[in-house]
Amino acid sequence: MRNLLSSIGLICLLALAGTVQAQRSVVEETHTKATLASEMSIIGADEVVWLALSYEPIAGWHTYWQNPGDSGMQTNISWELPTGFNAGKALYPVPDTLPVGPLTNYGYNGTSTLLVPLYTPENITTKSIKIKASAEWLICEIECVPQFGEFELELPVGKSTPSSENASLFAEARQKMPEPAFWDAEIEIAPEASKLTVFMASEEIETVENAYYFPAYEGVLDYAEAQIVNISDDGLVLNLKRLKGSLAPESAAGILKLNLPNGKVTAVQIDPALKVVDAIRTPMPLPEAASAEEGLPVWQAALFALLGGIILNLMPCVFPVLSLKAFSFLAAGSMTKSERKREGWAYTFGILASFGVIVGILLALRAGGSVVGWGFQLQEPIFVAFMVLLMVLVSLSLAGMFDIQTGLEGAGQSLASQEGSKGAFFTGVLATLVATPCTAPFMAPAIGYALTQPIYVALLVFFMLGFGLALPFLVLSYSDRIAKAMPRPGAWMETFKQGLAFPMLATAAWLLFVFNNEAGSIAMLFLIFAIITVVFAIWLWQQGDGKILRTIAAAFGILAIASVFWNVEPQHETETGETASKINDSKFANAGTFSNAALTDLTNEGTPVFAYFTADWCITCKVNERVALHREETIKLFDDKGITVLKGDYTNRDAEIAGVLSKYQRAGVPLYLYFPKGQKEAIVLPEVLTPGLLKEMVETNRI
Amino acid sequence: MLNKLGFTLIIIITLSIASIANGVEVGKKAPGFKAVDTKGNIVSLSDFIGKPVVLEWTNHDCPYVRKHYTSGNMQRTQSTLTEEGVVWLSIISSAEEEQGYVSGMEADKLTASRGAYPSNVLLDPKGNVGRLYAARTTPHMFLIDEKGILQYQGAIDDKPSARPASLKGATNYVKAAWTSLKAGEKVSVTNTKPYGCSVKYGH
Repeated sequence: MRNLLSSIGLICLLALAGTVQAQRSVVEETHTKATLASEMSIIGADEVVWLALSYEPIAGWHTYWQNPGDSGMQTNISWELPTGFNAGKALYPVPDTLPVGPLTNYGYNGTSTLLVPLYTPENITTKSIKIKASAEWLICEIECVPQFGEFELELPVGKSTPSSENASLFAEARQKMPEPAFWDAEIEIAPEASKLTVFMASEEIETVENAYYFPAYEGVLDYAEAQIVNISDDGLVLNLKRLKGSLAPESAAGILKLNLPNGKVTAVQIDPALKVVDAIRTPMPLPEAASAEEGLPVWQAALFALLGGIILNLMPCVFPVLSLKAFSFLAAGSMTKSERKREGWAYTFGILASFGVIVGILLALRAGGSVVGWGFQLQEPIFVAFMVLLMVLVSLSLAGMFDIQTGLEGAGQSLASQEGSKGAFFTGVLATLVATPCTAPFMAPAIGYALTQPIYVALLVFFMLGFGLALPFLVLSYSDRIAKAMPRPGAWMETFKQGLAFPMLATAAWLLFVFNNEAGSIAMLFLIFAIITVVFAIWLWQQGDGKILRTIAAAFGILAIASVFWNVEPQHETETGETASKINDSKFANAGTFSNAALTDLTNEGTPVFAYFTADWCITCKVNERVALHREETIKLFDDKGITVLKGDYTNRDAEIAGVLSKYQRAGVPLYLYFPKGQKEAIVLPEVLTPGLLKEMVETNRI
Repeated sequence: MLNKLGFTLIIIITLSIASIANGVEVGKKAPGFKAVDTKGNIVSLSDFIGKPVVLEWTNHDCPYVRKHYTSGNMQRTQSTLTEEGVVWLSIISSAEEEQGYVSGMEADKLTASRGAYPSNVLLDPKGNVGRLYAARTTPHMFLIDEKGILQYQGAIDDKPSARPASLKGATNYVKAAWTSLKAGEKVSVTNTKPYGCSVKYGH
């Protein structure tokens, strides 16, 4: 009773407060103090009255922008207004980025105020009006707490008069709002990237130290990714990442925040024209000071390229090749100075010629409209496969498995070990070839930049890069003093060379990883076997010089290399890079999961069933699948005969499959069963399948 | 020499290779994953080929998740879909010591106490599955068809609010997508911005 009385008292007090505080309505939620305020103490007819919804969160907690980013929520307000009154969309102040783990949100630490326009009708008949708002907003630290508030304002009607009580609240709120747009902008949206161009004059750009774009709609960019600021002839360019599978944005409008000198920040609303494109020609992030300038002067770019080329010599994949050549110099003390010089130049030309070929292809592809960057070679699984092979062979030769001087069977290697300038030329080619995987991750930004420049600049940059790569060796070939200062040849060279095998192997490992992502793990397994076979062939070759032995060795080697083509070929057209796409749509990808119940159902219906039992760790199974099952002719055969495929995956323990295996007296997978139309007895296929065997099975119903 | 060779090859072969895709595309094959369920069994997406699968990212302490569970909306969606043959996987990607992290036993208790109908609850405290699917919020929903193609990703419904009242008149995108899929029609809304708390990934 007492409680009831006191609550009534409280309600009266609140009501009283309500009339007194007519221009302000305050809600104390668990984590926020929220205020709804009117800019006018007396409102007039046919005008815009601004209302402010202001949040004061407890320390350390934040509220959200209209696009909250990866998670979070914008404010929801539902208004209850007298007839004729309308509330517009809330305007939000300029947000900040709020990273949470791997995600990024947009919002406000500390106080933030939204402004809402209230449109009053031409005629207001009452002496005062009541404005009710029911708001929901989210506040988070890491955990989130939704907050709710019921606000009520009562404003007298008459000659409109600003509220002195609320003046400072509105003044501060307006300061935090973005400026209206005065630049045109355009945004290109591609599946995994987007590019915002703000058409600014170069003198305007000069003052910009950094920029960040807050898109108001979903799907424009990946919130958690860095935004890369560049300058183009058109103006300020932001290169943005998009998450694969993002929503198509309904608008690209948003707020562009610019950092100016002396810590000043300005923010403008922009509404870029939306252009959906297949891909974006991205000038990669500029290294060093380039981004702030109008682009690098050409001589500087060339100098950087030269330095980059010299540094390339120290890369784990290049250094071993280079040192091989250096050793041959040291060892060949008999060489005259002019012979050395000739070799030095031959090596340099080898490098420059290979760079020329690569750049030529690159520029031709670009001219043809393809969007390619440096490292495009590495997008070819077949190229990657041969690079892995090459790396392994070079490292094994370093480790001492092959004798360098008597010739290697690896592609460029036998040529590289030839004597004289021809040999030096091919060492240069080999150095460039092995340098490509290293240039991709380390040099991509600089090279990407060069490719956006006019052709002569691009050519100059590449020339300098190649020259830099050749320079240490060229210097060595010229200078007697350096040649003399080199350590004396000796047994240490062998040990050193063996040590150098490891960086090469590491490079091979990285390339293998690239290959796996491009062609899938099965293809990778096949590649590893092919490499082992090539190594075996070389080993066999060295066991003697009998004709039969060498023929067998050569046959192994050629077969293994051919199998790399065969292995990679069917996968090349896939987009997903998971497994071959032809298989994706086939009966095998869509195979039903094996269960005795499913099998009984199907055989009762009289449907022919092919049941196969496999496991990821079963190599025989995978080989069979590749050689016999996941093949077009088999898929067609099964389609034609209406055979339903059931797959039992025995990768993990499974009692039901174990039961089937023991029924057919098998200790493990693979097991292939065929139930011809209308039969309940299975034909058990052998453990090694061929397409011919399957055909026979289907056509004759026996094996 | 053979020793050297063997050693080298062992190095190559024992390199464990992980795939690094990120984000999923509607209309493309949903990436496969393996995760541990509340009983400690390993569950693989490929176990369910031939069946449609719903992935629901969840965190029982997130107010948006609570809206859907205390109102019974999530349970109703789960029971409707699972009765029609859909496999429903609730996935918890909260890192240890973050909000929503539960042991298998606690997860089972939650399922029982809330009367939920997931086919299975998967524990992903390292966030591997969450990052693979770029799951951002709780709830964040994915519908994969029986061929393994992603058919819907995004919010559970069109009312981004924590108010239970917002459920009235809301369009349940997952249910809608499933209804179309079941009828052999094209899913009309395939991609939306998910709403809710951030997934509490480890740092």
